[in-house]
Amino acid sequence: MTPFRTVIRNLHILTGLFISPFILIYSFGVLTFNNEGLLNRLSPVKRLPEIKTKLDTIPYGETDLAVAKAVCKKLDIIGEVDFISRWKGHLSFPVNKPGLRTIININTINDSVSVSREQLGSLRAMSYLHQMPGPHNENIRGNSTFLKFWRVMSNAVGYFLLFLATSGVLIWLLLKSERKMGVFVLILGSVTLTCLILLILNS
Amino acid sequence: MGKGFKSITYWNRKIHIYTGLFLLWFIWLFSVSGLLLNHGKWKFAGFWDQRKLSVKVFTVNIPAGLDSASLINVIMEQTKISGEVSAVKLSNDSIDFRVSIPGHERNLHIDLKKGSCTSKEIEFNWWGKIRTLHTFNGINKTRLDEGPNWIFTRIWQYSMDAIATGLIILCVSSWITWFKSKKSFLPGIIVLITGLQLQFTLYS
Repeated sequence: MTPFRTVIRNLHILTGLFISPFILIYSFGVLTFNNEGLLNRLSPVKRLPEIKTKLDTIPYGETDLAVAKAVCKKLDIIGEVDFISRWKGHLSFPVNKPGLRTIININTINDSVSVSREQLGSLRAMSYLHQMPGPHNENIRGNSTFLKFWRVMSNAVGYFLLFLATSGVLIWLLLKSERKMGVFVLILGSVTLTCLILLILNS
Repeated sequence: MGKGFKSITYWNRKIHIYTGLFLLWFIWLFSVSGLLLNHGKWKFAGFWDQRKLSVKVFTVNIPAGLDSASLINVIMEQTKISGEVSAVKLSNDSIDFRVSIPGHERNLHIDLKKGSCTSKEIEFNWWGKIRTLHTFNGINKTRLDEGPNWIFTRIWQYSMDAIATGLIILCVSSWITWFKSKKSFLPGIIVLITGLQLQFTLYS
């Protein structure tokens, strides 16, 4: 085996091993996202009892995100604030962490707060991680520590996957024994994807 | 025993190579589109400011006595528009709905009394099409049991499921390959444990 092939092969193996747990999260996340109706029938979301309380002080003068984070801190709730809705006399926002969704509703007139929580399970957690950080609500996305790290990891997985695919092709090219069948499969995959995209975009 | 042992390695290698080669372009497409979705501010991949807006007006024949779904199908046939239907709103005098294909969105307003169809269209460039291909699965969050209503959305959705399954196969076959490899075993286990630990830390 040439040194170049040895280096590429080792990098391919080690990179693949490192990101394989994340690839599994993304893959199961896709299967969950595409088949959520079936998952809801097999494993419904578990709703926990609603909690109602009243907070002493809420810093309404600050930005909506700052208010949301302050309320979360007072209620000892950890997670990513997904979006914030404000309308007359009310402020509402969901706080997500993998597997748990907390919805906080604040009555800004009397500072009463209701907290409802949903246990989503591992598969929905993977679907959530797959979608994060994503293109939506970019101005507030990454307001939690775990999502700051996840943003870095999700980008790293994207780049590593590109490297894996490319290095995999290079390793295969150097393998004489799998060449004929490999060319056939490669062409088959390319034609399949091209046909699918043409069908969808030109229908 | 020895022959059976060799067979697992033999078939596992072939499965890994051929699955990877078949999915090569799919992996590149979804990796690139995933990175695009995470980096909306990349200027070279701008799509929103470059969108093309247009308005088209059609005269349509509104048959009597049809339900909304049938009426939408009839109008789409008459206007020669196809795609995934969503955001349907019905009133006494009109019906509004959206027809989407990756990179091309049409918002249709049908005036039931006048027999006219106004289509406000947004067409994105290739960067916009690639982004939409990543997420185009026809899932309606408010009606999860319904699924996609356009056959090509369903085919693309099944493709996504197949790609995900293929990636799981690639992961498992890579573990088997590594486990059988004496040279890569030690560095491999360090790297795998690091990846698992990082994943569990983020997950919890």
